[in-house]
Amino acid sequence: MPRSFRNTLLVLVPLVIIAALAPSFYANQLLLFNVIVFLALAQGVNIIYGFTGYLPFGYVGFFGAGAYGFALAVMHLHAGPIAAMAVGAATSIVFGLVLTPLLRLSGPYFAIANLAAALAISEIVSNPALESITKGPYGVSLSGIFAPTFSYSVAVAVLAFATGCVLYLRYSRFGLALQAVRDDPISAAMAGINVVWARTVAWLLSALIAGLIGANFAWYVSVFYPDNVFSPDFSIFAIVFALFGGVATVLGPILGVVLLYGLYNVIGISTPQYFQLIYGLLIMVLVLFLPNGLASLLRRWGIHVV
Amino acid sequence: MLFDPVDIPAAAGPLLTVTNLAKKFGSFQALEDVSFDVRPGEVLGLVGPNGSGKTTCINVITGLYRPNAGSIQYQGQPIGGLAPHKLAHLGINRSFQIPKPFKSLTVRENLEVALKYGSKSSSPGDLAPLMDFLELDKHAGRLASELTSAQQKMLDLGRALATRPRLLCVDELGAGLNPAELEQVSDRLRKLARAGLALLVVEHLMDFVDRVTDRLIVLSAGRDIFSGSLSQATQNKQVVEVFLGAPDEH
Amino acid sequence: MLEYSILAGLLFGLYFCLVGLGLNLIFGVMRIVNLAHGDFVMLGALGACGLFGAYAINPIAAAVACLILFIIIGFPLYYLLVPRLLKSADPEMLSIILFFGLSQVIESLTTIVAGPTERSIPGNALGEHPVTILHQTFPSAWVVSAVASGVAVLLVFIYLYHTRIGRLTRAVMVHRDEALATGIDVGRVSGLAFGIGLGLAAVAGCFAPFMLGGITPASGVELTIQSFTVIIVGSLGSPLGTVLGGLIYGVSLMLMQTYFSSWAGLLPYLLLIAILLVRPSGLLGRKVRHA
Repeated sequence: MPRSFRNTLLVLVPLVIIAALAPSFYANQLLLFNVIVFLALAQGVNIIYGFTGYLPFGYVGFFGAGAYGFALAVMHLHAGPIAAMAVGAATSIVFGLVLTPLLRLSGPYFAIANLAAALAISEIVSNPALESITKGPYGVSLSGIFAPTFSYSVAVAVLAFATGCVLYLRYSRFGLALQAVRDDPISAAMAGINVVWARTVAWLLSALIAGLIGANFAWYVSVFYPDNVFSPDFSIFAIVFALFGGVATVLGPILGVVLLYGLYNVIGISTPQYFQLIYGLLIMVLVLFLPNGLASLLRRWGIHVV
Repeated sequence: MLFDPVDIPAAAGPLLTVTNLAKKFGSFQALEDVSFDVRPGEVLGLVGPNGSGKTTCINVITGLYRPNAGSIQYQGQPIGGLAPHKLAHLGINRSFQIPKPFKSLTVRENLEVALKYGSKSSSPGDLAPLMDFLELDKHAGRLASELTSAQQKMLDLGRALATRPRLLCVDELGAGLNPAELEQVSDRLRKLARAGLALLVVEHLMDFVDRVTDRLIVLSAGRDIFSGSLSQATQNKQVVEVFLGAPDEH
Repeated sequence: MLEYSILAGLLFGLYFCLVGLGLNLIFGVMRIVNLAHGDFVMLGALGACGLFGAYAINPIAAAVACLILFIIIGFPLYYLLVPRLLKSADPEMLSIILFFGLSQVIESLTTIVAGPTERSIPGNALGEHPVTILHQTFPSAWVVSAVASGVAVLLVFIYLYHTRIGRLTRAVMVHRDEALATGIDVGRVSGLAFGIGLGLAAVAGCFAPFMLGGITPASGVELTIQSFTVIIVGSLGSPLGTVLGGLIYGVSLMLMQTYFSSWAGLLPYLLLIAILLVRPSGLLGRKVRHA
């Protein structure tokens, strides 16, 4: 369809180009890498919340699963980084499959259960009893695969994939079907949609994205603790960025990441409590006054948001 | 073509046969021993006082609930307990008493989704005739949440029709409509029946029932107590009592 | 060992009932998920630690003060946040996000004002001598906390079942719209329930240093999850269910800590997920699944 192709060119291509070229203009590659991580995570949240209405309060569980899958593949299977990323992605999908029964729950119950699941996997991985496998709470140090430039490029590819998925959902009838399921599952079933299957596909796609970028993160940093990759901050930031920008659009999460993560890096790193206060207030104001995010404001002014 | 249910020769027998259907919720027997059938092109009314089980009956037929006993045969195959989306694929669909459109989608998108996922046709099809039929064509690009409630009812009906059903269950379509709208809706239902659709119409408004249905079933407290034409029903003592209450014994 | 675990579990169970009760009350009355619940518990805990440290005020007195203070705070907070929320498209889901935001605000403000260090109260603030029950010996702090929790739970039941406003509250819990139609001032009843819910959280917080150890401003999330586990096991919206949930949770936690101590931290999460999957309506409750 022409419209979707045009929008793909307008959004995806500049995004990839900017992401790929940015390190040549800005020295802090770690910061750029983190921006890419959040861009991908926000789109992942977008897929599951914007299109199916489930709020993944424990989204970081997939991120961490991907990271540890990667780490375990490198440490125990001596896999190369690309193969290890595949293992990381697979780990995240397996974790997603294990949690699919949660999709039977209604909104708030799902959110809390998902949070509990993420905390559970974090607790399991960091348990000293599993030290021989996961190194427990002592952290992982992957030798021989540190490659910031290469892993950064792969991250750009993952970002392209994540953004591409959302573009697909935005303009396809499968995306419409997901929104239908979100709006009214009973009516959607009568429209011929296999509700369970549709939700599961969106869920696993969302898990895949987080798993991929999580594995990529493990590769990029090569040294991390359970707290680093299971930090609730990942879930929280991704949700807030997606909500702030506006879910069920492609640009919304991008806007959210650029504006809010940018803000965080300007004032938040030195005084995290102040940033926490601001974004807490921001979330409250958002829910009360602009629950559909910036994109809804733009739409009100007549601007079509991709 | 507005919709084309595959032609079924009239002599092929009933499209839907419900036999001794029962449904229980906890200790409450919502349906017991209900039996009837519907033929292609026929409009069967399902009437009864509040709480008699009419909507439950539709809910069971369209897969929202599993029956506890009895059988439901569609085109000769048992369908009791199948999931709603599978029933939609087989050609069974329904509208809802309180319309349930997809609020964040436009009118056109509402129908597109049902067309793509509900009908077996692989061609995208043209939704224009359907929207025209329901007088929603001028509103194609509007969000479903912006429609009036009468329009939402038509959209709900449209969603069901876009799946190209052969059996359509209609749940209190007449409620809340003004006389002009009622006339339009009853015309539409009769047109659908003439095209070969089998219709099961749950309704409270007797005038609507008279206009639309060929015959009717009366439910009372979950049981079917009468089957026949409306005029026969009005002369049946039990039916009258069920609707108006027993006359005083003096 | 086993008897000790079970009895200790019951003591903790009573305490966990109190922890969960406020959350359940708020959800039951207005279908709002207070994800900041644990942070109010934390505020009560830090308040009690502060009052004890600065003025040697007994935690029980602190609890009473907290209850009154948070009821007074809860009322306007309700009117500020909830009516707008209830008018939105999906109050249950949006409430999670809204109160999550509130939780971040509370946590950050507390860290800014009071610093991130862990606070606690010495156990003998609630009694010098260990108490013996059925041949098992427990720190008196545990027993006093459990008894205080039991008293609080009892008071809530008396409120709900034997006061006029309590009966109105239960009417709103059963059917909000109907209650509105019969002329009940649903706003006032809800506001009061909201305040009491927060107050109960704070009271539970006052005993948290004795039952759960040191508390920091970041302790809110864990406390919230534990509260959810308690009320979901019992069933969301049912006060009696919270009592059951608390006792089951307490005993399970104690048994885990005794026999599988390195994995005991997993219990709240796994129990929560297991219950939600196997019997999502809890032991006493209502349907929570999608069609």
